[in-house]
Amino acid sequence: MKRSVGWCGAAAFVRQLRSRVAGRSACATPVLVLLLLVVVLFPLPGHAYAGPGAGFAVLSSFWTLFVAFLYSLYALLTWPFRHLLRTMKRRKAYGKAQFKRAVILGFDGMDPELAERFMGEGKLPNLAKLREQGTFRKLRTTFPAISPVAWSTFMTGVNPGKHNIYDFLARDLSTYLPFLSSAEIKGPKRHWKIGKYSIPVGKTNIKGMRKGTPFWHWLGKSGIFCSVIRVPVTFPPEKFPGVLLSGMCVPDLKGSQGTFCFCTTRSSGDKFREGGVRIAMERDGSVCRSYIPGPEDPLAEGSGHELRVDFELRPDPDRNQARMEVDSQKFTLKVGEYSEWIPVKFKAALGMGAHGICRFYLKQIAPEVEVYVTPVNIDPGRPDLPISHPVTYSIYLAKLFGPYATLGLAEDTWALNEEVLDDDAFLAQAYGNHEDRERMLFDALEKTQKGLCACVFDTTDRVQHMFWRYLDDDHPAARNVPRDQRPNIIQELYQRMDGLIGRVMQQIDDDTLLMVVSDHGFKSFARCVNLNAWLHQNGYLALKDGKTESGDWFEDVDWSRTRAYTMGLNGLYLNVKGRERQGIVEPSAAETLKDELRTKLNGLADPASGRIGITGVFDCDAVYAGPYVDNAPDLIVGYGDGFRASWDSVMGKVTEKIFEDNLKAWSGDHCIDPRLVPGVLFCNRKIAEEKPAIVDVAPTILKLFGLGLPAHFDGKPWTVASSGA
Amino acid sequence: MPFVLTQPPPAAALGVFLPNSPLAIVIVLSLVVGLLMVLLFGYTSNQKAIKVAKDQLKAHLLAVRLYQDQLPVVLRTYGRIILGTGRYIRLAFMPLLYVIIPITLLIVQVDRYLGSVPMQTAQPFLVTVQTAPDTLNGVSLQLPAEMSISAPAVHVPADNEVVWRVVAQKDGEYDINVLSGGQTYSKTVVVAGDVSRLSPERMRDRFWERIFVSGEPALPDSSPIESIAVTYLPRNINFAWLEWNWIVLFFVLSMVAGFIFKEVLGIEI
Repeated sequence: MKRSVGWCGAAAFVRQLRSRVAGRSACATPVLVLLLLVVVLFPLPGHAYAGPGAGFAVLSSFWTLFVAFLYSLYALLTWPFRHLLRTMKRRKAYGKAQFKRAVILGFDGMDPELAERFMGEGKLPNLAKLREQGTFRKLRTTFPAISPVAWSTFMTGVNPGKHNIYDFLARDLSTYLPFLSSAEIKGPKRHWKIGKYSIPVGKTNIKGMRKGTPFWHWLGKSGIFCSVIRVPVTFPPEKFPGVLLSGMCVPDLKGSQGTFCFCTTRSSGDKFREGGVRIAMERDGSVCRSYIPGPEDPLAEGSGHELRVDFELRPDPDRNQARMEVDSQKFTLKVGEYSEWIPVKFKAALGMGAHGICRFYLKQIAPEVEVYVTPVNIDPGRPDLPISHPVTYSIYLAKLFGPYATLGLAEDTWALNEEVLDDDAFLAQAYGNHEDRERMLFDALEKTQKGLCACVFDTTDRVQHMFWRYLDDDHPAARNVPRDQRPNIIQELYQRMDGLIGRVMQQIDDDTLLMVVSDHGFKSFARCVNLNAWLHQNGYLALKDGKTESGDWFEDVDWSRTRAYTMGLNGLYLNVKGRERQGIVEPSAAETLKDELRTKLNGLADPASGRIGITGVFDCDAVYAGPYVDNAPDLIVGYGDGFRASWDSVMGKVTEKIFEDNLKAWSGDHCIDPRLVPGVLFCNRKIAEEKPAIVDVAPTILKLFGLGLPAHFDGKPWTVASSGA
Repeated sequence: MPFVLTQPPPAAALGVFLPNSPLAIVIVLSLVVGLLMVLLFGYTSNQKAIKVAKDQLKAHLLAVRLYQDQLPVVLRTYGRIILGTGRYIRLAFMPLLYVIIPITLLIVQVDRYLGSVPMQTAQPFLVTVQTAPDTLNGVSLQLPAEMSISAPAVHVPADNEVVWRVVAQKDGEYDINVLSGGQTYSKTVVVAGDVSRLSPERMRDRFWERIFVSGEPALPDSSPIESIAVTYLPRNINFAWLEWNWIVLFFVLSMVAGFIFKEVLGIEI
């Protein structure tokens, strides 16, 4: 049976118009205005429809309001039940809480000595205020003093023996090769071969390697809402009653910890040691063409075939700019300028692909064209891998503030190290990311009026790593820069962070605990120590006959004659029989060998200056306890102030020199003797403990919210005053 | 004197390429207008601002879900949704200002073809003449040979109207004449089965009203006749097992076309 939907026919339309304009033909303007007003004020399709323009607006806004209305209705109708359920489940969630809200700002790598110095100079008024009204202490860090280790301890309240993170990297006992210690990403196990395609069946498996339970899980279970932003080693994000955006260790779209791309017309066979790839840019008349390499083609498993996104660039030397076209998006970029985040899609066959975002930096257009492309970040608005809990949280932030860096190590330190970026370009990138995080923090503060709000800023760490050379009197990487021309980048960094604290203090009330913590401090990294070279020269590590050096990752190492080796930043490993695949050290002899190495390495001096390069070597059995101690390095090497493991040593390479200058921009570090690089603890309340440690933060927060402490915690809760000074 | 002017060429004014089917005309028109409007929308709107406004609306909707247990947050977010919707509507309506007049005129013109069906032979219809005050009795109707009056004229002094019931015997486009004060005033009547350009009323003065209602020249200013109207029946178009008014169908189809074209063209709406 037919049903008429012509509720407002053409005649009616005409009649209505007629009635509105009848008798007013004398004056056209008021009629036009009236007509516009009618259309704008009464946008019902039947009688005010003026094409899809109006229709789009009407439909879209109506849809938005309709969805909002449904949400509202659902929220309002279910609120009493949810509230009841929550009350029953959480039973006095805040009943025993000392504060209604705790705000923890993590400033990765903020150094207590520098903070004290700048406070003394009156440069950090807000931190000074916290110190006067509340607390300022050095915060003991973990063994080793490395961010993923320390932040894992921060969140779990346990030593690394219980959370299983000892470094960025861990070693494979059968191959001696490294793997990422925090997460394991494996593609689908099964593939269907159809013609030339190998179609993956099933989901990508992402496994978190960090053990232990973050303290916000305990809070969430008790009904205390938590907003957690960019705390390291929170990838993959775990479910809990709150919102979380993953931080350090989130990979880029290639699955690496950050691979930049440098596209250039300059012919060069040089490869970057790490962190980036050089891509040739082809000139074709006035157009330059290149591409961004992406992830491996999911339909060509194991072939090594990379997906790519092509782009074009048309230099305009007169205006010192270039017109760029990427994935059908066109934009103009001036030399020395970053683009916004550009969404890119790496397309595979059969409609498959991966979504990412990247930024372009036009380095120069004449005589050669050089374009730097950031690592391709997972698109937070369309995440192909989960980077937040719930998944919609990263999307929410992307919609609210626009695309943002999702890569764990988002500030491209490698590009500055390799001189692809200069100081200013690196800082622009780092502070761009920092501003995004600030926006996220203030949104979380607004949304989390009760509960926990924790946010970690990496900027402090990255900028100090890269610009310590200007702070040091005689850093090898800055010897060519006169002292009076050295910029105050680190002081400005601290001032910027102080400003942030000031703005946060304005946002919080008297019933909010504010805590500023860092995972470690900082020292100069002027001299490199190749521990593998020392082990080689002292008969603990052997190379194949005729070799005086090895390649990366122990290429040419003779394992049948090797008793000890090092890779990563602080770990020293014995080649134990029955543990390592080619182990030769009898387990019964391991303790003796450890003692021998400790004795010889402790106090190792740099022949160039006589300064002590290694101030402590720590036995893992003495510093760790827990179910995962077996995965720990056998010894933790504590380098002295000014020293660190050499770039080669970190990558499992044996060189001839034990000590050498560090000439890279990466000139400050903290992967040294943990006793030399404590972090900071600022708080707006008095804290009684004189020697607090980062492991104490989790139990302290649980205690402040009136929760009992799990028995396995290693940290001890601090006594925190309820009111400020 | 014969009153037949011409045999009405079906839909001729809409272009020779259009088939003589109201549905086909609406579909083609919707596709063309949908495409043009999306292009125009893309060029005349602030695409970046629209994207930001839409994204923020989506963010607020997600916030309601993410923070659903926190009533103050939810309530604040509702406020932002309303403000955001207002901002979005304002941005989306900007292109409307560029197209409202041409599109309105287009709709008015198309409505003359598709809004009503022509008179049918042997189907009675009314001819209504509105006069100046005190001239009602001097009005008479003169019909072509193919038409006849089927009932005596009805005078409505209160409205200064006189109404005739008329029947046509043959398809064609005719002029009917109204005589008053020694002058003759004509009005076109179309009797046909096809799509034809129809003008339901001829009127005096009232320029803007004529633009929207009449497809004929104005009656002389000195004329005692205010208007001559005939009652064409509204047209319904069968589509998807429903009967549609052409504007509603045009609305739906042009929207669908618009939403398809916006995806193809990458235009933010």
